[in-house]
Amino acid sequence: MELETSNECMTVEQAKELLRNGINCQIDSNEPGQFKVGDQVRAKVIHVQNYTRLPRYIRGKVGMIVKDYGIYVFPDAVGMRLGTKPQHIYSVRFTAQEIWGSDASAKDALYIDLFDDYLESV
Amino acid sequence: MNGPHDLGGMHNLGAIPIEVNEPVFHSEWEAKVFAMSFATFKNYFPVDETRHACERMPPGQYLSSSYYERWLYALELLLNEHHLVTKEEIEEWLAQFAHSQTSSKAD
Amino acid sequence: MSSHSQHSESDIALRVKAIESLLVEKGIIDPATIDMIIDAYEHRIGPHNGARIVARAWVDPNFKQRLLTDGTSTIAELGLAGFSSEHMIVVENTPEVHNLIVCTLCSCYPWAILGLPPTWYKSFAYRSRAVIDPRGVLREFGLEISNHVEVRVWDSNADLRYLVLPERPLGTETMTEAALTSLVTRNAMIGTAKVQVPTPPELVA
Repeated sequence: MELETSNECMTVEQAKELLRNGINCQIDSNEPGQFKVGDQVRAKVIHVQNYTRLPRYIRGKVGMIVKDYGIYVFPDAVGMRLGTKPQHIYSVRFTAQEIWGSDASAKDALYIDLFDDYLESV
Repeated sequence: MNGPHDLGGMHNLGAIPIEVNEPVFHSEWEAKVFAMSFATFKNYFPVDETRHACERMPPGQYLSSSYYERWLYALELLLNEHHLVTKEEIEEWLAQFAHSQTSSKAD
Repeated sequence: MSSHSQHSESDIALRVKAIESLLVEKGIIDPATIDMIIDAYEHRIGPHNGARIVARAWVDPNFKQRLLTDGTSTIAELGLAGFSSEHMIVVENTPEVHNLIVCTLCSCYPWAILGLPPTWYKSFAYRSRAVIDPRGVLREFGLEISNHVEVRVWDSNADLRYLVLPERPLGTETMTEAALTSLVTRNAMIGTAKVQVPTPPELVA
C-alpha cells in the first residue's frame, strides 16, 4: 500500500483495476511480532485523539491470541497520513463475559483483529 | 477518537431496519455519492482517511444522518482540507443549480 | 428507507448534483468512471459471488479445507478477489458454533464477495447491538440459537474481511453445485440467517 496519492482523476481503467485488485495492506516480512498464538493479552486503555481502529468496548479487556495474520499497515497511522507503520495483527478471542460481565452468555465469544500497538502482556 | 462512530455496546438505537429485496442504492444521489467517493480512493485519499473524515462529523449530526449523508460529509471535508475544492465554490455552484431549477420551474 | 435523514431528499439530491458537476468541471472526477463504478456494484458485484464460494465448499471437501485455512488465495482460485475483499477470512458454522459478522466502527464488509452491505448491516442498531446482544439481534432476524451453541461475533475492525460458511442443509445431498448456489442467501453469509431448503412444490398446499 502506498501513502502518496497521485491526485489525478481516476480513469475508467484505474477504477476497473481497483475493483479487480483492491489495495494490498499486507507486508511481506519475517519480522517477528510481540505476541504468539496462545498468549493472554490485554487491549490497552488508550484514548487516541485521532484515528484508531481500537473500539472503546474492548479497551482494558483480556483475551487470547488465536491467530497471527502477519504484518499489515497500521490504519491509525495511514488514516492520518503519518506513514504505514507496519506491524503484526492478530485475531484475539475474548469471552462475552470478560467484555460484558456476568449477564452475558457464558458460552459466547467475540473475535477482533488487534495490532501489536493495541496490546500489552498480561 | 472517542467519537460517535464507536457504537459497540451502545443501547437504545432502535430496531434493526431489515428491508426485503433492498436495492443497491435507494436513490440516484446515493449512487453518485458512493461512486464519487470511490473515485477519490487511492488517487486522492487513503480509504482510512475517508473513514476518519466520517467519524469527524459532530456526534449530534452523525447520529441523525443517513449512511450516504455521512459519506458526503467526508467527501466535502477532504476535498476542502486538501485544497481541491473550497466551501465557497460548492455553495456557489449549489446556488447556481438551485437558481436554474427555480427558473426552469417558472417556465 | 435509507435511515433517518435530517435533510430533505430533494435538498441533498441537488447538493450532490452540484458537487458532481463542480468536480467534473475541475477535472477531479470523470463521469465515465462514475457510471462504470455504479454499474459494477448495481449489476456485476453481489452476493451471487459469495454463494459460488459456499456451494463449491459444500461439494468439494478439499476446496473447503483450503478455504478455511487460506481464504484469500482459495477465493482467488474462483477469480473472486477485489476491492474490500483483499484479505479474506472464512469462518464455518457447525452444529456447535454460530458465527456472526459486524463492523462496529463503520461498515466494513467483503464488497467483492457480497456486494455493498444492506442498510441493516450499516445501521446504528446492528453495529451497536451485535456485539453486546448477538442472540437478541439474531432473534430479530427470526433465528433462535440454542444455548448449547456457541455464538462467535467477529468485529471486522481492521483490513481483514469475513465470510460465514453456512451449514449445508439436510436434504440437499443430490443437488448440483449450481442448484446449491441458488440456495445461499446474503444474510446466511453474514450469519443472520441459515440456508433453507425450498419446500418441494408438491408439498405446498
